[in-house]
Amino acid sequence: MHTIRIPLTLAAFALLHVGATAHPEFQAWSQTNSGRFVNCAMCHAHPDGPEGVKAGQIGSLTPAEMLVLNEARAAFEPGKKIESPILNKFGNSIVEQLGRREVIALRPTPGALATKLDPAHDIDGDGLGDEREYREGTDPLDAQSGNPAALFRINFARQRFHILMIVLATACALYGLNHLLRGLHRVASRAQKSQAR
Amino acid sequence: MNISEKIHDAVSFATERIPLHKFDFYSVVHKKEVPVHKLSWAYYTGGLALFFFMIQLTTGLMLLFYYQPTVSDAHASVEYLTRHVPMGALIRNMHTWGSSGMIACVMVHMLMAFAMKAFERPREITWVTGVLLLLITFGFGFTGYLLPWHQIAVNATKVGLQSIEEAGRYMPGGLADLPRQFREIIQGEPSVGQATLSRFYVLHVILLPLSIFGVLGLHLLSVQLHGMSKGVDQPTKKTERFFPFFILKDFSLWGGAFLILFIVALCLPFESFFSFPLFQPYDALGSTPDGIKPEWYFYFVYYPLELLPFWLVMLGQTVAVGGLFAAPWIFKNTSRRSLSIIAGAAAAYLVISTIFGQAIYEMIKGVH
Amino acid sequence: MLNIFLFAALPYVAVFVLLVGSYWRYRTDRFSYSALSSQFLEDRKLLWGSICWHVGILVILLGHVLGLCFPGVWQAIVANRTILLLVEFTGLLFTILCVIGLVALAIRRATSGKLQIVSTPVDFAVLGLLLAQVLLGLWVAIAHRWGAAWAPASLSPYLFSLVTFNPNIEYVQDMPGLVKMHIAGAWFLLLLIPFSRLVHIFSIPFEYLWRRPQKVVWTNPRRFTQAEEQVAVAEDRRVFLRAGLGLSAGVALLGVGTADKMVRYFKGPEMTPEEEGDLLAKKLERLEQTSEQRELELERIRAAYIRVARLDELTANKGKYFTDYQMRPALAFLGSDGLPTLISAKCTHLGCTVGSDLDGDGRLLCPCHVSYFDLKTGAPNAGAPAKSPLGHLGWALMDESGNVLLSQNPSGVREGSADPEALKGAIVCIARRFEEAKA
Repeated sequence: MHTIRIPLTLAAFALLHVGATAHPEFQAWSQTNSGRFVNCAMCHAHPDGPEGVKAGQIGSLTPAEMLVLNEARAAFEPGKKIESPILNKFGNSIVEQLGRREVIALRPTPGALATKLDPAHDIDGDGLGDEREYREGTDPLDAQSGNPAALFRINFARQRFHILMIVLATACALYGLNHLLRGLHRVASRAQKSQAR
Repeated sequence: MNISEKIHDAVSFATERIPLHKFDFYSVVHKKEVPVHKLSWAYYTGGLALFFFMIQLTTGLMLLFYYQPTVSDAHASVEYLTRHVPMGALIRNMHTWGSSGMIACVMVHMLMAFAMKAFERPREITWVTGVLLLLITFGFGFTGYLLPWHQIAVNATKVGLQSIEEAGRYMPGGLADLPRQFREIIQGEPSVGQATLSRFYVLHVILLPLSIFGVLGLHLLSVQLHGMSKGVDQPTKKTERFFPFFILKDFSLWGGAFLILFIVALCLPFESFFSFPLFQPYDALGSTPDGIKPEWYFYFVYYPLELLPFWLVMLGQTVAVGGLFAAPWIFKNTSRRSLSIIAGAAAAYLVISTIFGQAIYEMIKGVH
Repeated sequence: MLNIFLFAALPYVAVFVLLVGSYWRYRTDRFSYSALSSQFLEDRKLLWGSICWHVGILVILLGHVLGLCFPGVWQAIVANRTILLLVEFTGLLFTILCVIGLVALAIRRATSGKLQIVSTPVDFAVLGLLLAQVLLGLWVAIAHRWGAAWAPASLSPYLFSLVTFNPNIEYVQDMPGLVKMHIAGAWFLLLLIPFSRLVHIFSIPFEYLWRRPQKVVWTNPRRFTQAEEQVAVAEDRRVFLRAGLGLSAGVALLGVGTADKMVRYFKGPEMTPEEEGDLLAKKLERLEQTSEQRELELERIRAAYIRVARLDELTANKGKYFTDYQMRPALAFLGSDGLPTLISAKCTHLGCTVGSDLDGDGRLLCPCHVSYFDLKTGAPNAGAPAKSPLGHLGWALMDESGNVLLSQNPSGVREGSADPEALKGAIVCIARRFEEAKA
């Protein structure tokens, strides 16, 4: 029995580390497709990627975090909710939606990742779906980052009431100010005229 | 000329430039007339700049309630304000868009005042204080940009300050190190860090506001005392009363500008125009993202620095700033037509270097 | 049974009587279509009574009509808490005004002898019914608050069902007693209109709102000149009235909007525990990063040697980042002779950190403005924005016990023995003396 276990563990170990290096193909695709500079922080916890000793990189993980990481690395099938310490919320949601096997399989065709993700998923709630932000090279975790024209339209629609109110308020105030100054002017010039007389 | 005559001349110079005896309600409010001619629209640009300044003051004060000026907390405090505080994103965006608006207005105002020869006697002090205000405003922009302490803030400031050191290459022997030392005094330490942030914070929040209050006060007083300049060589007799008609149109313009600023700040985050890595927290030990550039209103200096020899740009800048300060005396006898041409050329240069600077740079250097 | 009578039958009866009765009265007694003003008989109390009552009821009726006729828009507006508060508060204020007006009118009619000569029982009935209806409304507003929000949802469909001759009393039959009385009271008042002074509702002089100012032309010369003055003053009053209205509306809207937002801004966010946890974790992480940086700075002040890496960890093609004594980034490579090559990673152009990968030609790339630096010489490529070379750093190879086996200063001069066996397992360090000499 033991003799079988070792090769199995080795195989599992090997499988866990398949594709364990970073996937710059996705970043490169996003950058080329959108024309915007994109770094690893779109999916990873650290802007320079998972390799290194800084916070959010493999070299800095505690043993407890390494356990969580290995658990996340074993999520080959979709549907498993993971919290990998080297991925951010978007990265984790990609693995949850597709499963790690599919993500690795998509490496030669990184653009296909956008079509496989759920377009309704919007982590930062800015109205632009995560897969759209991936395609357009903007930050899916930051509501302030996104296609400017699209953001303007979405926010304008959301804030219609406030915009209407402020336009109304400014118009009323200017109308009132207009008449106030005219009124004061009339009083002043009449006073001046009567003084001249 | 003996001393008493010189003093007499100086006193009459000052009295003519700052006629405080005209500072009564009747002259300032009631009797003031504004010339009506083709360039009358330019009379509103100064007020618009003042409006944007007031917006900056108010939103800046509000931002102060949440901002923390330390390298470990600055970025987090701005992120907290933007994401969690109700209306925080609105106030922050109003401040940023407002700064662009203020600088744009100030530049237009200066160009038009130049073209209209508004610095003509007796308005020299208005002009000189105005140039000072321009420099202070650019100072606001430069110091404020560093405060969020993200990648583009710190790296663009480093790049900007590094250009001071370039001057050392042209200085003889022992003096060559002076620019570096000068730069370190500005930074407070050898490389941009907490000392720099503290200094820029003090400059942006206390020193520059205090100076602008003083200089602006003098500038506005001067405008009120002298009234609007005639603007064209042969003004028609047509004028309109400052109060209430001009001031009403002025306030309506402010109302319109406010609405535009509000709607833009509410719906269009300025961050969306840049790639997102530029707004990540500054990491001194990590890599630098692509696209580090100063703010758009510095492009007219930045791209020349990138493309032309340093000494040429420095010479150009010195001539320009010196020329601006001394304009009332250099251009005393220049016709308004020539002044308009100069202003037009300057405007063309500013617009082209700002809008097409990046394209020109890439064309010359080859795209990367 | 009573419900069916009050809410299904009575409305139709009331509207029918209203229409037929009003038409009949118009045909038979046209001049009775008036408010039967008694201002000539008593006008001091009338000022308080009539103005308060009419201003109050007009605003209240406007609110009712808007809410009942445009329920969708109204509910969307009133969904904002601050607006709802404002609307209810306004309603309360104007209801009190109505009550003051009606009470004043009642007292007036009860105490003035001259008035009582011309009063009919119907006049008292009108006053009484109106007062009852208003007080009921007030009671409803207090006992069943936020009517502005819940009323349109039920009452609009009810009214619509009546209009389409499909009366559905389910909307109202289960409402609280006070509300039902208020609704029934409304129908009774409609019934009363053709029989009382309330017909003056149909002869409201709307044209007065946009009537041009009147100037009286006197034959008397004194009054003639005075009239000029009076017209000017009247026009002034109109201008200032418009000014006041505009400014009040503007200031009120701006004030409410600003106050609402500013109070929330200064109050700060209301975060869920999860969000607060995330935020605190992030702050802690940043604090730890700062403390790590301070530790690095302290190490550089105190230690004579700082560890970079083990010699066998270094590779020829991918550099390892470390921080030098000046807290600047630097890279450590394995040179072709098996010994370390340490080079500054701070681009000499504008200070960006250069990349750690060597390209095919043994060069480092600075991504900011594309300068290539040769690893061996540190020199930038021709035409690069960077003009000065990247400096090499001195290093020292130490063994486990801290003895320096081999060192090389920044100029490349070596000291010590380069025995490959001894150097196995050696640790690469930077030395303070090399930095100080350079500075």
